[in-house]
Amino acid sequence: MQTEIKIGDTVYRIKIEEIGGNTLKVEVNDKEYFFDKNELRQPGFTGFFPENVDLAAKENGVIPREKVEKEIKSPLAGTVSSIAIKVGQEIKAGERVMTLIAMKMENEIVAEGYGKIKEIKVKENQFVDNGDILIILE
Amino acid sequence: MKNLTRRPADKIINYKTLSSTNSKAKDLAQKGTDPWTVIVAEKQTGGYGRKKAAWSSPKGGLYFSVILPKSNIDDLQTLTVLAAFICAKTIKENFNLEPFIKLPNDVWINGKKVGGILTENIIGKDVKTSVMGIGLNTNVRKFPKDLENIATSLKIESGKDTDNRKILKQIIKQLREQLKTISE
Repeated sequence: MQTEIKIGDTVYRIKIEEIGGNTLKVEVNDKEYFFDKNELRQPGFTGFFPENVDLAAKENGVIPREKVEKEIKSPLAGTVSSIAIKVGQEIKAGERVMTLIAMKMENEIVAEGYGKIKEIKVKENQFVDNGDILIILE
Repeated sequence: MKNLTRRPADKIINYKTLSSTNSKAKDLAQKGTDPWTVIVAEKQTGGYGRKKAAWSSPKGGLYFSVILPKSNIDDLQTLTVLAAFICAKTIKENFNLEPFIKLPNDVWINGKKVGGILTENIIGKDVKTSVMGIGLNTNVRKFPKDLENIATSLKIESGKDTDNRKILKQIIKQLREQLKTISE
């Protein structure tokens, strides 16, 4: 969907599209903003930015605050085959944190929000259960 | 009047060469490409199986990945196992060969690997994207020395040429039918 809105003397070109199942991409004058659709139903929803948006854009953006995660839990039972992050690293929504081999498939586990890695609770080749905490974030 | 119940045609995107059809499919899936889009490469330069084990992909073989619709993880697992069965069944029906399913994801003929399946999911709190890659050694005439005792092809086993397009369509059709059955 594409439309134009005029506020005062400024014209905003707005384009909204669905990417993947749960994400909405909103373009305002060629700047891209991403929203988790599930959160749009809640008051005071937060959005998230793609990797290529810099800090200044974030601060000036339409989204008031970042979505911060406290921990990342395993969404399924499986064996950790590789860990893609380090303690102290900042991660963004959509960033791969580890890969689990489970249920005869390879599963990339991605962050749902922003955060800084405080502790990695698992090691490579370790078996984890559904719901086990993989990563604690600051 | 438009018939809304008609199944949309499979969208097949062909490439001469890709590093990996699964990597390409994952990339497209994340950008919102429709489910059941199929990525085909005549050869792969970095084809891989589980745990990133290399999958030799010279020209002649059938290498493709399917962007799967959003499904729950149990159904994706079942579909992965069924995919090996579908490949074996398709080989059996088109050639006078007796494939053997090496669980979970491989198809063997006469003790050598002829095909493999790798499903890769991207998961946050729920499944975001799923792609299934299938590699079948169809018209591969010869394997390098280090693989010739463990890999084979339909050409080597039957002497016949494979119509890769026809086999591809048969497999996709069955995957669609099976996923519909298990997710209901």
